[in-house]
Amino acid sequence: MITRDRPMYRVVLENIQLLPLLPRFNLKPGFGELSVDEVCRNHGVNTDFFLEIANAFLDEMYIPGEGLSLFPLETMVDYITSTHSYYTEIALPMVEEKLHRLMERSRLTEKEILLLTTFFNDYKKDFIIHLSQEEEQILPYVLELEKQSARDTPDPEFIQKLQNYSISEFEKEHDRLEISLRHLSELIIKYLPPFDDLHLCHEVLNDLEVLMKDLIDHADLEDKILIPRVAELEKKLRNSASLE
Amino acid sequence: MRISSFILVIDSYLLRKGLLAVLNRIPGVRVLKEFGAEDPFGSYLNNHVVDYMIMGQLEFDRSADLFVSKPELLEKTVLVCGAGDKEAGTARAQRDVHRIIHLQDNKESIIRKIQDLLDTGDQKEREDLHMQLSPRETTIVRLVSMGLTNRQIADKLFLSAHTVMTHRKNISGKLGIKSVSGLTIYAIVNNIITIEEVSSLPPK
Repeated sequence: MITRDRPMYRVVLENIQLLPLLPRFNLKPGFGELSVDEVCRNHGVNTDFFLEIANAFLDEMYIPGEGLSLFPLETMVDYITSTHSYYTEIALPMVEEKLHRLMERSRLTEKEILLLTTFFNDYKKDFIIHLSQEEEQILPYVLELEKQSARDTPDPEFIQKLQNYSISEFEKEHDRLEISLRHLSELIIKYLPPFDDLHLCHEVLNDLEVLMKDLIDHADLEDKILIPRVAELEKKLRNSASLE
Repeated sequence: MRISSFILVIDSYLLRKGLLAVLNRIPGVRVLKEFGAEDPFGSYLNNHVVDYMIMGQLEFDRSADLFVSKPELLEKTVLVCGAGDKEAGTARAQRDVHRIIHLQDNKESIIRKIQDLLDTGDQKEREDLHMQLSPRETTIVRLVSMGLTNRQIADKLFLSAHTVMTHRKNISGKLGIKSVSGLTIYAIVNNIITIEEVSSLPPK
């Protein structure tokens, strides 16, 4: 487990899988001897939040429960937003570029290429729709909810809205974005003819695996931490409104 | 295969390491952590997903309070029992915990006992998933992958267009896949259709 007093360079050196996590906190290698806590504080990152996220990222059996319930939802929303940008601006374009290069150097039939291209385009489209729905509807709602519940007298209009809306609606429609990536890996490994550029093929499969794991972690953060906390706030606010 | 997580709560260093060596050779087993003499493990359970704990009898008796407050842990416990252990506390442990590894068990029977545990876990997970498509839904996925429109599918299966729409919605709900191309890849990797049979038109 990562702790606050360890030198950040050691933590990253020993857990190189943490690299994709760093930009989401605006952290860059070149840490010198600074501890995790010092690096985080220098960059305005909440150290405890970083530790919870990093530990959960490294150990699938780790439940970031108790620690994460101490942070403002706003911190979590910021993290979710920057994770989204990482997916759409870095991870997905990178896989896409490699996949196209892989197809160019392959002996796939025209039909197989068309199948893969259409699949990836559709996937990207659905992916982006999913994220932008979250960013335009869910996350602003979460922030507003946190703001309203901090007030002595919440906005009656917002309370009204709460009677008809709940975060659990969102949970129902929460697609699992990693599933189609798993299918894509399986397609390459089992069903398509071998690729000549073996090295690139491995890179694509590796990238897919890393992205899949990342998406599962991210969905866990939303489903197990964010949504229950939001539901709790909703309940509190509804109750206080009905008491008046 | 699903990975099941274990912790070992055994004071004896030799016994613990010996069991660890056996467990590490069984696929699907992941030992998260070992707890030796007097290492507190209760708080570890609060923030880790632990499927099974393998414990000595003394260690079990010492943790009686924990099992009183969290009786569901009994289901996750495997007891390691010696041949000569007949004290009162021990008898209670053996009554509460049904899964027992005996010190005199040979390697094969230890492995078999652990594998039985893993099999029950796997089965439970499959039941949880509810991801299985019905035969009708599978047929529809196949036809969608061949490039048929909902109308064409309805005609072919003697269904109303509305019914086909409902099936399509349920399929997307179960699989978490909306696009035709996503369903097509799903159909290929689940052997519902071959790449040769797939529509050569770009699916809409």
